[in-house]
Amino acid sequence: MYGIFMECWVDLKLYGGNGVLLALLIISSIYLITSEKDLKKKILFGILPLVILVGFLVPFTKIAYVAAFDDGKDTYYRIMWLIPTYVTIGYAATRALSRVKRDTVRRCLLPVMLVIIAVTGSFVYTNQYMQRAENAYHIPQNVIDIVDEIAPAEGEPRVRAAFPSELVHFVRQYNTNILMPFGREMVVTQWDYYNAVYEVMEKPEVIDAKALVEATRQTKCTYIVMPDNRTIKGSLTDEGLVIRANIEGYTIYEDPQVEAFNG
Amino acid sequence: MSQSIFGVVSLIFWLLIAPLMIGITFNFILPKEKKRLGITFLLGFLIYVAGFEIIAIPCMTKIMYNAFSYCVKYYVILAWVLMIPGIIKTALAVFKDKDLSKLFYLKKADAKNNRTSTASSITGSDELEIADPDVAKKHKIETYIYWGIFFALLAFQMVMAILMASFDGDDAYYVVESLLAQQADVMNTILPYTGISTSLDIRHALAVITMWIAFIAKVSGIHATIMSHTVIPLIVIPLVYLVYVEIGKSLFRKKQEFVPVFMIIVSFLMMFGNVSIHTPATFFLMRTWQGKAIVCNLVFPLIFWIFLEMMEKKEEKAESTGVEQTTEKVAAKAGIRQKISTASYGWIMLIFVNMLSGMCTAMGVIFATGLIGLLTLILLFIKKDWKVLIGAFICVIPNFVYLALYLSIWSS
Repeated sequence: MYGIFMECWVDLKLYGGNGVLLALLIISSIYLITSEKDLKKKILFGILPLVILVGFLVPFTKIAYVAAFDDGKDTYYRIMWLIPTYVTIGYAATRALSRVKRDTVRRCLLPVMLVIIAVTGSFVYTNQYMQRAENAYHIPQNVIDIVDEIAPAEGEPRVRAAFPSELVHFVRQYNTNILMPFGREMVVTQWDYYNAVYEVMEKPEVIDAKALVEATRQTKCTYIVMPDNRTIKGSLTDEGLVIRANIEGYTIYEDPQVEAFNG
Repeated sequence: MSQSIFGVVSLIFWLLIAPLMIGITFNFILPKEKKRLGITFLLGFLIYVAGFEIIAIPCMTKIMYNAFSYCVKYYVILAWVLMIPGIIKTALAVFKDKDLSKLFYLKKADAKNNRTSTASSITGSDELEIADPDVAKKHKIETYIYWGIFFALLAFQMVMAILMASFDGDDAYYVVESLLAQQADVMNTILPYTGISTSLDIRHALAVITMWIAFIAKVSGIHATIMSHTVIPLIVIPLVYLVYVEIGKSLFRKKQEFVPVFMIIVSFLMMFGNVSIHTPATFFLMRTWQGKAIVCNLVFPLIFWIFLEMMEKKEEKAESTGVEQTTEKVAAKAGIRQKISTASYGWIMLIFVNMLSGMCTAMGVIFATGLIGLLTLILLFIKKDWKVLIGAFICVIPNFVYLALYLSIWSS
């Protein structure tokens, strides 16, 4: 039981990051419990957040959650979404401000509160997964350029292309007429699937050209998109592929032996 | 060029006008003072997307070929049926009566505000004492400044939603589902990652928010990925803040001048809430278009707001009798329908909120049911009226239907 409690504790720590948001939540709830006269507000934003927080740490909650949801171990943190965190903190802070009688003090306190939130928090737009959009699709422009090069014209059959792992998330967000031998399911390591093309294209340090072409032909890949920085033993052109284009560090190989997939 | 203009006009129609007209059709369920533009839009939006769920799930499960085309066709018909009474009401109010108060509750601002602030200085121990009109005026200007700051923050977040791109692996599934509906005319029967045909993936299929996004993409002719990443945040972000504004109004019922301060703090918590990848704030601004983000940032706050309103009712009734003494005729006109709506609009809205949660994610259905159960117990404790149990039971019926459907498809 102690082990499950520790798991819950780790989940809470992962959810709370540096812990300041949780600290603000607890302080706000306690403040509302002690000072709020309106019973419903006291219960909803004072007592309830703390009850859910404690409930989150109780091992039985996690046992029940994991039993109920297939991916319960990975998504247990979502229980924390039931806490009206932003309303609680926002209400407590605003209420505290509204109790300040002197206008000047109140006007100065608001920026102080905002600075505390900004300094102790983390600005979402400077997150490592955020970057300036290259286009309205919000996907990398090189993916669009590559896909435009190989996409079938209207009425033509769809084509299958093997892309390197770093591009697989985006290809079909732009054009679903491009099929792939493997996609995101292979990139998420904990899912642990097997895919013949992935095994020879992405796993080895040095790609064996012969093994790769054998695998892509079995899966009817018309194209292979290969990053220029990958080392290949042998040559894809020697295996019968032709270079169609080179776009932003990726060489597109076309396999004339594979007929367009007529799916 | 003409295609772009058509796209923008379509977006304005299907994302703003359609929900508003549906809201105007159905805002008779709202008590008089709740018939504000924002709440009317919110109600309309909830009914609008709930209608999509009713159309999309049968289309997806029963139609083998071109399922999405049928879904679009039937939904357009339903949307127009829901909109037409609202359009007629609007046309009559604008052209015949020339009186928008027939559509919305319009506060007679100045007179009422002055009366309220004077009254509040007498009645509320918890309130700012504003007896001097000069001081009141100064506070009013200050309030406008705070609202200005909040709207600037809102605009900033909307602009950043266009300018900044976030990476999330789940998009390879959800966004591609929308695009597949638009480009391949299927509803969840092609594996998004690779493109091979598959059986209906029940774990994700009932969460038809991806299909609703595809619908908007289809009728506006805009690529579903642009729709998800660039357009949907422009409607979801203001909608979420609209709910927070309503929460603020409920919390600061007698101190409305603090609502913009509350909103500034909430928007700061959102922008600086990326303390981990799991927080609602992270989902809100980085994965706005995904069902999970909508559940934790729109559905759950909506549930809290509706319960706050329902817990307030008794007090509000007493208050409103005082105000309505001067407008007895209007009150009499409202009659029994008003009484019914005062008692039940919260539960009716919760039905649609629950449908939205199911539309976003299966997890949302279970969480929303649990949260409503918890809040109903608190409501029961506060109001000491067993009838709330009936309301709670009725409002979670869509969740039970959803779960029954989920289990029946899963086991078949």
